[in-house]
Amino acid sequence: MANRNSSRRTLAWREARSGYLFIIPWVIGFVVFTVGPMVSSLYFSFTDYNIIDAPRWVGLANYARVFQGVPEYLMSGDPRQLKDPIFWKSLQVTLYFAVLALPLNLVMSFVLAILLNQKIFGLHIWRSIYFLPSIISGVAVTLLWVRILNPRMGILNSFLRDIGVQSPPGWLQDPDWAIPALVIMGLWGVGGSMIIYLAGLQGIPTDLYDAVKVDGANVWQSFWNVTFPMMTPVLFYNVVLGLITTFQYFTEVYVATGGSGGPQRATMFYNLYLYQNAFRYFDMGYASVMAWLLFLIVLLLTGLIFRSSEAWVYYEGQLKGR
Amino acid sequence: MQTKRWRMVLLTVVWLLIMSACGATTGGDAAGPASGDPVKVTIFVGFGTGTDPQQVTAQEELAKKFNESHTDIQIEFMIVPYDEATERYLAMVSGGNAPQLVGPMGISTIAQYLDQWEDITPYVAKDGYSLDDFYGPAVTLNKYPTVNAGLPLGLFPSFIFYNKDAFDAAGIAYPPQDYNDKSWDINTMRNNAIQLTIDGNGNNATSADFDPANIVQWGYADTWTDFRGMMTMFGASGVGRPTSEDYKTAQVNSSEWLYGAKWVHDGVHKDHFMPDAAGQGAIDADSGDPFGGGHVAMWYSHTWYMSEGLTEVPFKWDIAPLFYNQKGERIARVHADLFAIPKTAKNKDQAWEVMKWLVSPEQIVEVCKIYGCLPARKSTEAQFLDSLRTRFPGINHAVIFEAIAYLDDPNHESYVPETGKLGDALNNSLTTIYTDPEVDVEELLNITNEDVQIILDEYWVNQ
Repeated sequence: MANRNSSRRTLAWREARSGYLFIIPWVIGFVVFTVGPMVSSLYFSFTDYNIIDAPRWVGLANYARVFQGVPEYLMSGDPRQLKDPIFWKSLQVTLYFAVLALPLNLVMSFVLAILLNQKIFGLHIWRSIYFLPSIISGVAVTLLWVRILNPRMGILNSFLRDIGVQSPPGWLQDPDWAIPALVIMGLWGVGGSMIIYLAGLQGIPTDLYDAVKVDGANVWQSFWNVTFPMMTPVLFYNVVLGLITTFQYFTEVYVATGGSGGPQRATMFYNLYLYQNAFRYFDMGYASVMAWLLFLIVLLLTGLIFRSSEAWVYYEGQLKGR
Repeated sequence: MQTKRWRMVLLTVVWLLIMSACGATTGGDAAGPASGDPVKVTIFVGFGTGTDPQQVTAQEELAKKFNESHTDIQIEFMIVPYDEATERYLAMVSGGNAPQLVGPMGISTIAQYLDQWEDITPYVAKDGYSLDDFYGPAVTLNKYPTVNAGLPLGLFPSFIFYNKDAFDAAGIAYPPQDYNDKSWDINTMRNNAIQLTIDGNGNNATSADFDPANIVQWGYADTWTDFRGMMTMFGASGVGRPTSEDYKTAQVNSSEWLYGAKWVHDGVHKDHFMPDAAGQGAIDADSGDPFGGGHVAMWYSHTWYMSEGLTEVPFKWDIAPLFYNQKGERIARVHADLFAIPKTAKNKDQAWEVMKWLVSPEQIVEVCKIYGCLPARKSTEAQFLDSLRTRFPGINHAVIFEAIAYLDDPNHESYVPETGKLGDALNNSLTTIYTDPEVDVEELLNITNEDVQIILDEYWVNQ
């Protein structure tokens, strides 16, 4: 008996060892290119480090710089009380963008997926048309949209003037419209999420629709009682992914504004300010602080979404109370 | 047995992967060249001019010329797009693989990385190298608080490029080319610029039917510069420097800079002879070249524009001095370029030899033709003038050389503490001026002055 157990353990170890050997290259890459830099940046966040000279330990000074002046600001409302008002501005801009962009992207991609799940002529062509923009490089798309959104000669404002809009928005040149302009730009790429929704829609068992039809449900009732609940896992996935992507927003705003975050810091996204601290001001310590704070913010928000999912995400076959 | 063999193969492959990942980077310089091998000097180009296709070709030919005449040193130009230059350079330096020479670079780039450059003072002293042939301002501009960063390569004086056809169409006399003509002042320029600003229906900005939303030609622009560059001409005590001489007090809201900022704001939003941010975006989208694309009748820029733009211009053009400012002074900003040696580079002695070769009387004119600069050597003035006459016939070349006498000192790119942060604070004001017709310019400058003061105070606390 003991020999049999020993034999089983040896076999199990041999099988596991093969698996470990296969994943070693990935593990090495993960350690060297992800975990290693993360640990390094955590260390740098406690130092004054300008890349060229050796890091100098400063303790919590970089962290203090972020939060210094916050109580005074909360009492007075004067942003000049903040030690680093641009940090808080960048957070505000990023949150504003997230609040606008995330729901719009989710709704639009979901609606498109529903529309493209119908039996219509040329369905495959329509699906390709809506998906194609999402696979084009961010830089090229941004340059294209900068021209489309030009207030003087862009086709969007030309169209608005043609339909009678006297003073169309200044878009990327107007601090009030710069973020909405970037949101509009982002809708160009909803094809990626649309495909995921489409796959989810096609996975809904048709007998559920037959059942509600028998019960006399109309289109809306059918959607609300079958389609939407069955799609909540996919929606959940896209919400989490969309949140992470939104907080990592950088390429488009860097290309569109030349890295300035203008006009008047209206597009000073968190990652853009982080980049400026790292590569314009050579303040790697402070940039590392920003990176870790971003990690914690996204972790917190993702955790909240996961916690909330118990209330609104339905998994087929799940039993309540278990 | 076969399974065991496959496992051995797999283990070997994995081990090889690990070894290659952990192996030293190739670069060739870690162990140094073998005795007798020529030393390689890499010249990093990307922080300024030098990345256009015709410039790349010219630099390759220059490298070939050097390499054929030297057996102990070989040079190679490493061309990096401007947008990537910072990251690539910093990656090289932090990886212990700094290039031997960096340039051509302007004063602002030198100032931004001030702690990184080798001080060439000992090299000059050791060789007994004479600086007498260089223009005095060229030498002075390259001296910084803590370092003499390099031998002067060239100067890029500034002046007005003007579209003669536009002036003819408007029936306006060309700007005078005599530097002593006091009638060419800021008010005259403004009046001319307003008449030269045309909308899509052919109305100029003095017409009641003028449509500022449909401008096809602006009278004047000075957009390829930053806030300091724009304000330099207005004659503040610090000229192009936004602080006191000891870098401790912000002086952004001086009366001269306030006048200048208001003048620009009015020019953009009230008189409409300067393009706003949307206009600048439209110009970029159309041709990317405000003057060569025919969008601007008078364009204030430097000689480097002559090598980057002006390739096939469909109209007659010439150049004129910058106008006198509101105080009756003329301050025409200048750029100055050089090559510098990073402190952490290897083979610095060889880099010094290459630097001397690039700015030698025999080579400096050819090098400056690539980059569009005026050679910093007085003895080469005639030779360079001949090349200008060949390349740009029909314009008044004396305007270029005479502009040197009016350069800005302190320079608008000169060192200030926290160069990047301070520059961003100032340029945030400039974008506000370009984008907000209703902004209170005085209040804006006062706020910017406070921001700059905070930056300076923080810097000095940490010293």
